[in-house]
Amino acid sequence: MKRSKEFVFTRRIDAFFQDVLNIHRFITRFFKELFRRPFEFKETIHQCYVVGVKSLLLISLTGFVIGIVFTKQSRPPLVSFGAASWLPSLIGIAFVRAIGPLVTALIAAGKVGSNIGAELGSMKVTEQIDAMDMSAVNPFKYLVVTRVVATTVMLPILMLYCTFVGMMGSYFNVHANELTSLTTYFQSAFSSVSFLDVWSAVIRSFFYGFTIAIVGSYRGFNATNGTQGVGKAANRAVVFSMFLIFAEELVAVQITNWIHGL
Amino acid sequence: MKSTIKRRGIIVGLFLFIGLIILMTGILTIGNLHNSFVKKFEISATFDEVSGLQAGNNIWFSGVKVGTVSSLNFCKKSQVKVGMKIDQAARTYIRKDAKAKIASDGLIGNKIIVIYEGSESALPVQNGDTLAIGKTLSTDDMMKTLQENNKNLVAITGDFKEISKKILAGEGTLGKLLTDETLYDNVNLTVATLKSAALNAEKLTASLSIYTAKMNQEGSLTNNLVTDTTLFNSIKATVAQLKDIAKAASGITANLKLATGDLNNTNTPVGVLLHDQPAATDIKSTIKNLESSTQKLNEDLEALQHNFLLRGYFKKKK
Repeated sequence: MKRSKEFVFTRRIDAFFQDVLNIHRFITRFFKELFRRPFEFKETIHQCYVVGVKSLLLISLTGFVIGIVFTKQSRPPLVSFGAASWLPSLIGIAFVRAIGPLVTALIAAGKVGSNIGAELGSMKVTEQIDAMDMSAVNPFKYLVVTRVVATTVMLPILMLYCTFVGMMGSYFNVHANELTSLTTYFQSAFSSVSFLDVWSAVIRSFFYGFTIAIVGSYRGFNATNGTQGVGKAANRAVVFSMFLIFAEELVAVQITNWIHGL
Repeated sequence: MKSTIKRRGIIVGLFLFIGLIILMTGILTIGNLHNSFVKKFEISATFDEVSGLQAGNNIWFSGVKVGTVSSLNFCKKSQVKVGMKIDQAARTYIRKDAKAKIASDGLIGNKIIVIYEGSESALPVQNGDTLAIGKTLSTDDMMKTLQENNKNLVAITGDFKEISKKILAGEGTLGKLLTDETLYDNVNLTVATLKSAALNAEKLTASLSIYTAKMNQEGSLTNNLVTDTTLFNSIKATVAQLKDIAKAASGITANLKLATGDLNNTNTPVGVLLHDQPAATDIKSTIKNLESSTQKLNEDLEALQHNFLLRGYFKKKK
């Protein structure tokens, strides 16, 4: 097969590597703009409200349901081993180490990531970003930096809410079956959780938040082909950020286990 | 517009505040559970083998968690020096002669270090002290014992196999019992005999029951014997009399014995009469002589009756 001289490899592979370079440039620009005046505090607070407060209900509900479902699913095997009393510990470890950060990140990727991708994408295709540029407003700083900072800051907080609400959901189920008190449940749940687990979850959530917002902003900021491109940008933002979240989770687990000495 | 922005700022602040409270509560709970904020001191113990003990594993003293394993380092040849961070509050209760051993937190639980023993007379442990180690029963030891038991079990089952084979072949008492028809018949017969014996016993018991019922009937001898006190007294008196009679009979017997002794004695007249042969012959001849004398006397007397001197007298008498 004769390779076209237009591409180094193929069109798709070339586009992928071009994307890698562009994302690198995008991230570098973000850090440059982050520490450069003026700081868009008001817009950042507004984005915090949109990303954090507006996502709280959805994430809390999801966490609560997952807490109940996970407890219900985990009980039979533990009961068959005569280890039903280990249920709170299992839930504690599962929520703090994995479920809390992952569920929050995936819900945020679906809600916040797609929102950022679609919003910035539509602004791009309707040339609002160019207009901002023309009116001496740094669109990257106003649109991207604020969203990325807000998402990065809000996601660990959302993760804490999700973990707490999820464990409360689990508690209701445990209490209904074993009549365990709230104090005993939380003592048992946290007895197997270490500081490292908590800090690991918080730090991971920072990375997940950053990833979701950066991917969403990048896709939206580089949207093309009109309204079709907006949808594509939103879709790509969700899919790619979800993939990156799992990849980051894999690396984070390796690092945490290494620190744990496992 | 401005008020909306302000309101959102407050809501975001509240949102952040509650999130941070959750984080701090979680950290404090974990800290309290893991005694992270408690003052600690460090002691150590050197083990030959630590069975997978890790830094962070719990240390128990009298069943209470008093600290965690802080470090594991190789020392000497192949020994492991285990550093232990113990709560300061437990220091006064752990003595210098206390021992440390590796145990397990449940059957499938984590490894833990158990501090035990320690005498009252010994001083409390100090920072940097090294505890003596106690012998622990590791899983390997348990498996070894289990393996030994398995071997025994195999030997036992082998024996049983041999026994059952012999039984099936009809060897030995048990085998014969199970396979020999004659033995079976005998046993059957014995059982039948036992059955009939049991029937007889039942009948006997029934008869006995009737008999005892009669015995218990008022007015019967046995009943009177048991219940009538006057009868008992009469019997008692009778027995006493019988005793006297027996005593008298005993005296008579003694006299008779004496008499028979005399009879056997040849010095006594009766003894001579009974036992002396020549005397008997003499007596015999005497009796014979007496007989002839009597005959002659009769004849003489007959003659006298016819004598004239006495004839008158005899006539009168007639």
